[in-house]
Amino acid sequence: MSGSDNMNLSHMNARGEAHMVDVADKEESRREAVASGYVQMQSETLELLVEGGLPKGDVLATARIAGIQAAKRTHELIPLCHALPLSKVEIEFRVDEAASQVDVTARCRLNGRTGVEMEALTAVSVACLTLYDMCKAVDKGMVIGAIRLDAKTGGASGDFKRQPGETPIVTASCSDGEVGMPPRRASPGLRVKCLAELRERMGVSELDVEFTELEHTNIAGLKQALRQRDSRFSLLQGQRVLCAVNQVMGSDDTPLSDGDEVAFFPPVTGG
Amino acid sequence: MIRVQHAPFDPGGEQQALTKGRTDIGAVVSFTGLVRDFNERPDVTALTLEHYPGMTEQALADITEQAMHRWSLQGVSLIHRVGCLSPGDPIVLVLVASAHRRDAFDACAFIMDFLKTRAPFWKKEHTRSGHYWVAEREADQRDANRWEDEQ
Repeated sequence: MSGSDNMNLSHMNARGEAHMVDVADKEESRREAVASGYVQMQSETLELLVEGGLPKGDVLATARIAGIQAAKRTHELIPLCHALPLSKVEIEFRVDEAASQVDVTARCRLNGRTGVEMEALTAVSVACLTLYDMCKAVDKGMVIGAIRLDAKTGGASGDFKRQPGETPIVTASCSDGEVGMPPRRASPGLRVKCLAELRERMGVSELDVEFTELEHTNIAGLKQALRQRDSRFSLLQGQRVLCAVNQVMGSDDTPLSDGDEVAFFPPVTGG
Repeated sequence: MIRVQHAPFDPGGEQQALTKGRTDIGAVVSFTGLVRDFNERPDVTALTLEHYPGMTEQALADITEQAMHRWSLQGVSLIHRVGCLSPGDPIVLVLVASAHRRDAFDACAFIMDFLKTRAPFWKKEHTRSGHYWVAEREADQRDANRWEDEQ
Protein backbone atom coordinates (compact mmCIF):
# COMPACT_ATOMS: atom_id res chain seq x y z
CA MET A 1 0.00 0.00 0.00
CA SER A 2 1.52 3.33 -1.05
CA GLY A 3 1.63 6.41 1.15
CA SER A 4 -1.14 8.18 -0.73
CA ASP A 5 -3.43 5.17 -0.51
CA ASN A 6 -2.84 5.23 3.20
CA MET A 7 -4.29 8.71 3.41
CA ASN A 8 -7.54 7.66 1.67
CA LEU A 9 -10.64 7.24 3.75
CA SER A 10 -11.41 3.55 3.40
CA HIS A 11 -15.12 4.09 4.04
CA MET A 12 -15.55 6.28 0.93
CA ASN A 13 -15.84 4.85 -2.56
CA ALA A 14 -14.59 6.47 -5.77
CA ARG A 15 -17.66 8.73 -5.87
CA GLY A 16 -17.10 9.88 -2.30
CA GLU A 17 -20.08 7.89 -1.03
CA ALA A 18 -20.05 5.97 2.17
CA HIS A 19 -19.62 2.25 1.68
CA MET A 20 -18.72 -0.74 3.73
CA VAL A 21 -15.29 -2.13 2.92
CA ASP A 22 -15.36 -5.66 1.47
CA VAL A 23 -13.11 -7.67 3.73
CA ALA A 24 -13.80 -11.13 2.26
CA ASP A 25 -10.42 -11.33 0.51
CA LYS A 26 -8.35 -9.96 3.38
CA GLU A 27 -6.04 -12.35 5.20
CA GLU A 28 -7.21 -13.41 8.63
CA SER A 29 -4.86 -12.31 11.36
CA ARG A 30 -4.88 -11.83 15.07
CA ARG A 31 -6.15 -8.34 15.82
CA GLU A 32 -5.98 -6.58 19.11
CA ALA A 33 -6.81 -3.03 20.16
CA VAL A 34 -6.56 -1.19 23.45
CA ALA A 35 -8.42 2.03 24.16
CA SER A 36 -8.72 4.10 27.30
CA GLY A 37 -10.49 7.05 28.84
CA TYR A 38 -11.43 8.39 32.23
CA VAL A 39 -14.28 9.75 34.30
CA GLN A 40 -13.25 12.50 36.66
CA MET A 41 -15.42 13.21 39.69
CA GLN A 42 -15.55 14.75 43.14
CA SER A 43 -13.31 12.89 45.60
CA GLU A 44 -16.41 12.21 47.75
CA THR A 45 -18.08 10.54 44.75
CA LEU A 46 -14.99 8.42 44.17
CA GLU A 47 -15.01 7.35 47.80
CA LEU A 48 -18.67 6.35 47.58
CA LEU A 49 -17.94 4.45 44.39
CA VAL A 50 -15.07 2.54 46.00
CA GLU A 51 -16.97 1.64 49.14
CA GLY A 52 -20.15 0.73 47.27
CA GLY A 53 -22.29 3.48 48.78
CA LEU A 54 -23.96 4.71 45.60
CA PRO A 55 -27.73 4.35 45.22
CA LYS A 56 -27.59 2.27 42.02
CA GLY A 57 -25.28 -0.37 43.48
CA ASP A 58 -22.03 -1.86 42.23
CA VAL A 59 -20.85 0.76 39.77
CA LEU A 60 -17.75 -0.90 38.35
CA ALA A 61 -19.35 -4.32 37.82
CA THR A 62 -22.25 -2.71 35.96
CA ALA A 63 -19.98 -0.50 33.85
CA ARG A 64 -17.82 -3.51 32.97
CA ILE A 65 -20.79 -5.46 31.66
CA ALA A 66 -22.01 -2.36 29.78
CA GLY A 67 -18.62 -1.97 28.11
CA ILE A 68 -18.48 -5.62 27.06
CA GLN A 69 -22.03 -5.50 25.69
CA ALA A 70 -21.27 -2.29 23.81
CA ALA A 71 -18.17 -3.78 22.15
CA LYS A 72 -20.30 -6.64 20.85
CA ARG A 73 -22.87 -4.20 19.42
CA THR A 74 -20.50 -1.70 17.85
CA HIS A 75 -21.76 -2.54 14.35
CA GLU A 76 -25.27 -1.50 15.37
CA LEU A 77 -24.05 1.93 16.46
CA ILE A 78 -21.33 2.90 13.99
CA PRO A 79 -22.83 2.77 10.49
CA LEU A 80 -20.04 1.20 8.45
CA CYS A 81 -18.61 -1.20 11.03
CA HIS A 82 -18.75 -4.93 10.42
CA ALA A 83 -20.31 -7.28 12.96
CA LEU A 84 -17.34 -9.09 14.48
CA PRO A 85 -17.13 -12.32 16.43
CA LEU A 86 -14.85 -10.91 19.13
CA SER A 87 -12.80 -13.55 20.89
CA LYS A 88 -12.13 -11.38 23.92
CA VAL A 89 -13.33 -8.15 25.48
CA GLU A 90 -11.69 -7.02 28.67
CA ILE A 91 -12.59 -3.90 30.63
CA GLU A 92 -10.35 -2.68 33.40
CA PHE A 93 -10.87 0.06 35.93
CA ARG A 94 -8.25 1.79 37.97
CA VAL A 95 -9.25 4.13 40.73
CA ASP A 96 -6.86 7.06 40.72
CA GLU A 97 -7.36 8.92 43.98
CA ALA A 98 -4.69 11.49 43.22
CA ALA A 99 -6.52 12.65 40.11
CA SER A 100 -9.93 11.80 41.58
CA GLN A 101 -10.93 9.75 38.60
CA VAL A 102 -11.60 6.25 37.35
CA ASP A 103 -9.38 5.20 34.45
CA VAL A 104 -11.15 2.87 32.05
CA THR A 105 -9.30 0.56 29.68
CA ALA A 106 -10.80 -1.79 27.10
CA ARG A 107 -8.98 -4.49 25.21
CA CYS A 108 -10.65 -6.31 22.29
CA ARG A 109 -9.28 -9.21 20.32
CA LEU A 110 -10.24 -11.44 17.45
CA ASN A 111 -8.79 -13.53 14.67
CA GLY A 112 -10.29 -11.93 11.62
CA ARG A 113 -10.10 -9.68 8.64
CA THR A 114 -10.79 -6.31 10.18
CA GLY A 115 -9.46 -4.33 13.13
CA VAL A 116 -11.12 -4.03 16.51
CA GLU A 117 -10.23 -0.45 17.45
CA MET A 118 -13.81 0.77 17.02
CA GLU A 119 -14.95 -1.98 19.37
CA ALA A 120 -12.37 -1.00 22.02
CA LEU A 121 -13.27 2.70 21.69
CA THR A 122 -17.00 1.93 21.89
CA ALA A 123 -16.46 -0.25 24.95
CA VAL A 124 -14.55 2.53 26.75
CA SER A 125 -17.15 5.14 25.78
CA VAL A 126 -20.11 3.14 27.02
CA ALA A 127 -18.32 2.02 30.19
CA CYS A 128 -17.62 5.72 30.92
CA LEU A 129 -21.24 6.66 30.18
CA THR A 130 -22.44 3.91 32.51
CA LEU A 131 -20.11 5.16 35.26
CA TYR A 132 -21.67 8.58 34.75
CA ASP A 133 -25.18 7.19 34.91
CA MET A 134 -24.46 5.19 38.06
CA CYS A 135 -22.95 8.19 39.88
CA LYS A 136 -24.96 11.14 38.55
CA ALA A 137 -27.38 11.12 41.49
CA VAL A 138 -24.59 12.47 43.70
CA ASP A 139 -22.34 14.27 41.20
CA LYS A 140 -23.59 15.85 37.99
CA GLY A 141 -20.36 17.69 37.25
CA MET A 142 -18.36 14.60 36.32
CA VAL A 143 -16.18 14.86 33.22
CA ILE A 144 -15.55 12.08 30.72
CA GLY A 145 -12.22 12.58 29.02
CA ALA A 146 -9.31 11.42 26.91
CA ILE A 147 -11.10 8.60 25.12
CA ARG A 148 -8.51 7.33 22.68
CA LEU A 149 -6.86 4.39 21.03
CA ASP A 150 -3.72 3.40 22.93
CA ALA A 151 -2.50 0.57 20.75
CA LYS A 152 -3.51 -1.80 18.01
CA THR A 153 -1.76 -4.77 16.51
CA GLY A 154 -2.39 -6.92 13.45
CA GLY A 155 -3.75 -6.12 10.01
CA ALA A 156 -2.41 -4.47 6.87
CA SER A 157 -2.27 -0.94 8.28
CA GLY A 158 0.35 -2.08 10.76
CA ASP A 159 0.79 -1.75 14.48
CA PHE A 160 0.06 1.45 16.31
CA LYS A 161 1.14 2.58 19.73
CA ARG A 162 0.32 5.99 21.09
CA GLN A 163 3.50 7.88 21.75
CA PRO A 164 3.83 9.76 25.01
CA GLY A 165 3.00 13.47 24.69
CA GLU A 166 5.27 16.45 25.17
CA THR A 167 5.72 15.95 28.89
CA PRO A 168 8.20 13.17 29.59
CA ILE A 169 6.18 11.84 32.46
CA VAL A 170 2.84 10.15 32.24
CA THR A 171 0.86 11.60 35.10
CA ALA A 172 -2.29 10.62 36.86
CA SER A 173 -4.37 10.04 33.74
CA CYS A 174 -2.24 7.20 32.45
CA SER A 175 -3.68 3.74 32.03
CA ASP A 176 -3.30 0.43 33.77
CA GLY A 177 -0.26 -1.85 33.85
CA GLU A 178 -1.37 -4.22 31.13
CA VAL A 179 -2.30 -1.76 28.45
CA GLY A 180 -0.40 0.16 25.85
CA MET A 181 2.07 -2.62 25.41
CA PRO A 182 1.31 -4.57 22.25
CA PRO A 183 2.57 -8.13 22.42
CA ARG A 184 4.87 -7.90 19.43
CA ARG A 185 6.75 -4.76 20.31
CA ALA A 186 10.48 -5.21 19.68
CA SER A 187 11.44 -4.05 23.15
CA PRO A 188 8.80 -4.11 25.84
CA GLY A 189 10.65 -1.68 28.12
CA LEU A 190 10.24 -1.31 31.85
CA ARG A 191 6.89 -0.55 33.41
CA VAL A 192 7.38 1.58 36.51
CA LYS A 193 4.69 2.10 39.14
CA CYS A 194 4.71 4.52 42.05
CA LEU A 195 2.39 3.70 44.91
CA ALA A 196 0.68 5.36 47.86
CA GLU A 197 2.36 8.45 49.33
CA LEU A 198 5.21 8.29 46.83
CA ARG A 199 2.73 8.50 43.95
CA GLU A 200 1.05 11.53 45.48
CA ARG A 201 4.29 13.33 46.28
CA MET A 202 5.76 12.80 42.81
CA GLY A 203 2.46 13.14 40.94
CA VAL A 204 3.20 10.04 38.89
CA SER A 205 1.41 6.72 39.07
CA GLU A 206 2.86 4.78 36.12
CA LEU A 207 5.32 5.32 33.34
CA ASP A 208 7.32 3.38 30.78
CA VAL A 209 11.09 3.49 30.58
CA GLU A 210 13.00 2.18 27.57
CA PHE A 211 15.45 -0.45 28.69
CA THR A 212 18.20 1.26 26.68
CA GLU A 213 17.88 4.39 28.87
CA LEU A 214 19.55 2.48 31.69
CA GLU A 215 23.29 2.83 32.08
CA HIS A 216 23.30 0.10 34.74
CA THR A 217 20.64 -2.58 34.40
CA ASN A 218 19.56 -2.68 38.01
CA ILE A 219 17.28 -0.69 40.32
CA ALA A 220 20.00 1.88 41.09
CA GLY A 221 20.43 2.37 37.32
CA LEU A 222 16.67 2.85 36.88
CA LYS A 223 16.58 5.45 39.67
CA GLN A 224 19.44 7.26 37.97
CA ALA A 225 17.69 7.24 34.58
CA LEU A 226 14.49 8.55 36.15
CA ARG A 227 16.35 11.30 37.98
CA GLN A 228 17.88 12.40 34.68
CA ARG A 229 14.38 12.61 33.22
CA ASP A 230 12.96 14.72 36.00
CA SER A 231 14.29 16.04 39.28
CA ARG A 232 11.17 15.00 41.16
CA PHE A 233 12.42 11.41 40.96
CA SER A 234 15.25 12.26 43.34
CA LEU A 235 12.65 11.36 45.99
CA LEU A 236 13.37 7.75 45.03
CA GLN A 237 16.81 8.10 46.63
CA GLY A 238 15.16 8.32 50.05
CA GLN A 239 16.35 5.71 52.51
CA ARG A 240 12.84 4.48 53.25
CA VAL A 241 11.78 3.99 49.65
CA LEU A 242 11.13 0.31 48.98
CA CYS A 243 10.92 -1.40 45.62
CA ALA A 244 9.62 -4.59 44.05
CA VAL A 245 10.67 -6.18 40.78
CA ASN A 246 7.96 -8.27 39.17
CA GLN A 247 6.08 -8.01 42.46
CA VAL A 248 8.89 -9.43 44.61
CA MET A 249 10.74 -7.17 47.05
CA GLY A 250 14.07 -5.96 45.69
CA SER A 251 16.87 -3.51 46.45
CA ASP A 252 19.23 -1.16 44.59
CA ASP A 253 21.31 -4.17 43.41
CA THR A 254 18.40 -6.18 42.02
CA PRO A 255 19.12 -6.77 38.31
CA LEU A 256 16.50 -5.77 35.74
CA SER A 257 15.51 -7.35 32.42
CA ASP A 258 13.57 -5.82 29.56
CA GLY A 259 9.85 -6.22 30.24
CA ASP A 260 10.12 -6.13 34.02
CA GLU A 261 7.53 -4.41 36.21
CA VAL A 262 9.12 -2.23 38.87
CA ALA A 263 7.21 -0.63 41.73
CA PHE A 264 8.45 2.01 44.18
CA PHE A 265 6.60 2.56 47.43
CA PRO A 266 6.94 3.75 51.03
CA PRO A 267 7.22 1.36 54.00
CA VAL A 268 4.07 -0.72 54.29
CA THR A 269 1.44 0.07 56.94
CA GLY A 270 -1.30 -2.53 56.54
CA GLY A 271 -2.91 -4.82 59.08
CA MET B 1 -7.47 -19.26 51.89
CA ILE B 2 -6.34 -15.74 51.08
CA ARG B 3 -8.61 -12.88 50.04
CA VAL B 4 -8.12 -9.17 49.43
CA GLN B 5 -11.52 -7.48 49.24
CA HIS B 6 -13.52 -4.29 49.67
CA ALA B 7 -16.47 -5.98 51.35
CA PRO B 8 -16.71 -6.62 55.10
CA PHE B 9 -16.18 -10.15 56.40
CA ASP B 10 -17.80 -12.26 59.09
CA PRO B 11 -15.20 -13.84 61.41
CA GLY B 12 -17.70 -16.41 62.73
CA GLY B 13 -18.72 -17.53 59.26
CA GLU B 14 -15.11 -17.71 58.13
CA GLN B 15 -14.19 -19.87 61.13
CA GLN B 16 -17.09 -22.22 60.40
CA ALA B 17 -15.92 -22.50 56.80
CA LEU B 18 -12.38 -23.26 57.94
CA THR B 19 -13.38 -26.06 60.31
CA LYS B 20 -16.35 -27.49 58.42
CA GLY B 21 -16.24 -31.27 58.21
CA ARG B 22 -12.91 -31.41 60.03
CA THR B 23 -12.35 -33.35 63.27
CA ASP B 24 -8.55 -33.15 63.27
CA ILE B 25 -8.51 -29.50 64.38
CA GLY B 26 -8.00 -28.97 68.10
CA ALA B 27 -7.51 -25.19 68.18
CA VAL B 28 -8.45 -22.13 66.17
CA VAL B 29 -6.85 -18.79 66.98
CA SER B 30 -8.49 -15.76 65.43
CA PHE B 31 -7.20 -12.20 65.12
CA THR B 32 -9.38 -9.35 63.86
CA GLY B 33 -7.90 -5.91 63.29
CA LEU B 34 -10.29 -2.93 63.52
CA VAL B 35 -10.13 0.72 62.49
CA ARG B 36 -9.42 2.89 65.56
CA ASP B 37 -10.79 6.42 65.79
CA PHE B 38 -7.48 7.68 67.19
CA ASN B 39 -4.00 7.08 65.86
CA GLU B 40 -1.51 9.73 64.78
CA ARG B 41 -4.29 12.26 65.39
CA PRO B 42 -7.17 11.93 67.88
CA ASP B 43 -10.13 12.30 65.52
CA VAL B 44 -9.81 9.75 62.72
CA THR B 45 -13.07 9.76 60.74
CA ALA B 46 -12.10 7.33 57.95
CA LEU B 47 -9.28 5.22 56.65
CA THR B 48 -8.34 4.46 53.06
CA LEU B 49 -6.35 1.31 52.40
CA GLU B 50 -4.37 1.09 49.19
CA HIS B 51 -2.55 -2.04 48.03
CA TYR B 52 -0.49 -3.34 45.14
CA PRO B 53 -2.78 -5.80 43.34
CA GLY B 54 -0.93 -8.94 42.34
CA MET B 55 1.97 -8.47 44.71
CA THR B 56 -0.37 -8.30 47.71
CA GLU B 57 -1.81 -11.75 47.08
CA GLN B 58 1.66 -13.19 46.46
CA ALA B 59 3.08 -11.62 49.63
CA LEU B 60 0.20 -12.94 51.75
CA ALA B 61 0.56 -16.41 50.22
CA ASP B 62 4.27 -16.35 50.95
CA ILE B 63 3.74 -15.33 54.61
CA THR B 64 1.12 -18.06 55.05
CA GLU B 65 3.44 -20.60 53.49
CA GLN B 66 6.25 -19.63 55.87
CA ALA B 67 3.87 -20.09 58.81
CA MET B 68 2.84 -23.53 57.51
CA HIS B 69 6.50 -24.42 57.27
CA ARG B 70 7.40 -23.28 60.80
CA TRP B 71 4.43 -24.73 62.65
CA SER B 72 2.22 -27.73 62.27
CA LEU B 73 -1.02 -26.14 61.02
CA GLN B 74 -4.28 -27.60 59.77
CA GLY B 75 -5.41 -24.48 57.95
CA VAL B 76 -5.07 -20.72 57.59
CA SER B 77 -7.59 -18.11 56.45
CA LEU B 78 -6.36 -14.60 55.77
CA ILE B 79 -8.61 -11.74 54.67
CA HIS B 80 -7.48 -8.15 54.25
CA ARG B 81 -9.79 -5.33 53.24
CA VAL B 82 -8.93 -2.40 50.98
CA GLY B 83 -10.76 0.80 50.08
CA CYS B 84 -12.47 3.27 52.37
CA LEU B 85 -13.23 2.12 55.94
CA SER B 86 -14.80 3.79 58.98
CA PRO B 87 -13.80 3.58 62.65
CA GLY B 88 -14.94 0.26 64.09
CA ASP B 89 -14.81 -1.51 60.74
CA PRO B 90 -12.84 -4.77 60.60
CA ILE B 91 -9.70 -4.49 58.41
CA VAL B 92 -7.96 -7.82 58.67
CA LEU B 93 -8.80 -11.36 59.76
CA VAL B 94 -6.30 -14.12 60.48
CA LEU B 95 -7.62 -17.57 61.40
CA VAL B 96 -5.15 -20.31 62.21
CA ALA B 97 -6.20 -23.89 62.87
CA SER B 98 -3.92 -26.52 64.40
CA ALA B 99 -4.10 -29.71 66.43
CA HIS B 100 -2.71 -28.00 69.55
CA ARG B 101 -3.12 -24.40 70.74
CA ARG B 102 0.53 -23.29 70.92
CA ASP B 103 1.11 -23.69 67.17
CA ALA B 104 -2.03 -21.70 66.36
CA PHE B 105 -1.21 -18.89 68.83
CA ASP B 106 2.36 -18.47 67.58
CA ALA B 107 1.54 -18.80 63.89
CA CYS B 108 -1.26 -16.22 64.17
CA ALA B 109 1.09 -13.70 65.80
CA PHE B 110 3.79 -14.46 63.22
CA ILE B 111 1.42 -13.92 60.29
CA MET B 112 0.26 -10.55 61.63
CA ASP B 113 3.82 -9.41 62.42
CA PHE B 114 5.00 -10.31 58.93
CA LEU B 115 1.89 -8.90 57.27
CA LYS B 116 2.46 -5.54 58.95
CA THR B 117 6.03 -5.29 57.67
CA ARG B 118 5.98 -7.17 54.37
CA ALA B 119 2.58 -7.03 52.67
CA PRO B 120 2.12 -4.04 50.33
CA PHE B 121 -0.75 -2.19 52.04
CA TRP B 122 -0.76 1.51 52.87
CA LYS B 123 -3.12 3.39 55.16
CA LYS B 124 -4.25 6.95 54.75
CA GLU B 125 -6.11 8.45 57.69
CA HIS B 126 -8.79 11.07 57.23
CA THR B 127 -9.43 13.48 60.09
CA ARG B 128 -11.38 16.68 60.51
CA SER B 129 -8.08 18.54 60.14
CA GLY B 130 -7.07 16.84 56.89
CA HIS B 131 -5.69 13.53 55.70
CA TYR B 132 -2.21 12.02 55.78
CA TRP B 133 -0.43 8.74 55.07
CA VAL B 134 0.26 6.67 58.17
CA ALA B 135 3.96 6.34 59.04
CA GLU B 136 5.58 3.00 59.70
CA ARG B 137 6.05 2.07 63.36
CA GLU B 138 9.37 0.90 64.73
CA ALA B 139 7.54 -1.44 67.11
CA ASP B 140 6.09 -3.33 64.12
CA GLN B 141 9.58 -3.87 62.75
CA ARG B 142 10.79 -5.12 66.15
CA ASP B 143 7.84 -7.49 66.38
CA ALA B 144 8.69 -8.95 63.00
CA ASN B 145 12.41 -9.17 63.78
CA ARG B 146 11.84 -11.39 66.83
CA TRP B 147 10.86 -14.24 64.50
CA GLU B 148 14.09 -13.85 62.52
CA ASP B 149 16.12 -14.15 65.73
CA GLU B 150 14.40 -17.40 66.58
CA GLN B 151 15.37 -19.06 63.32
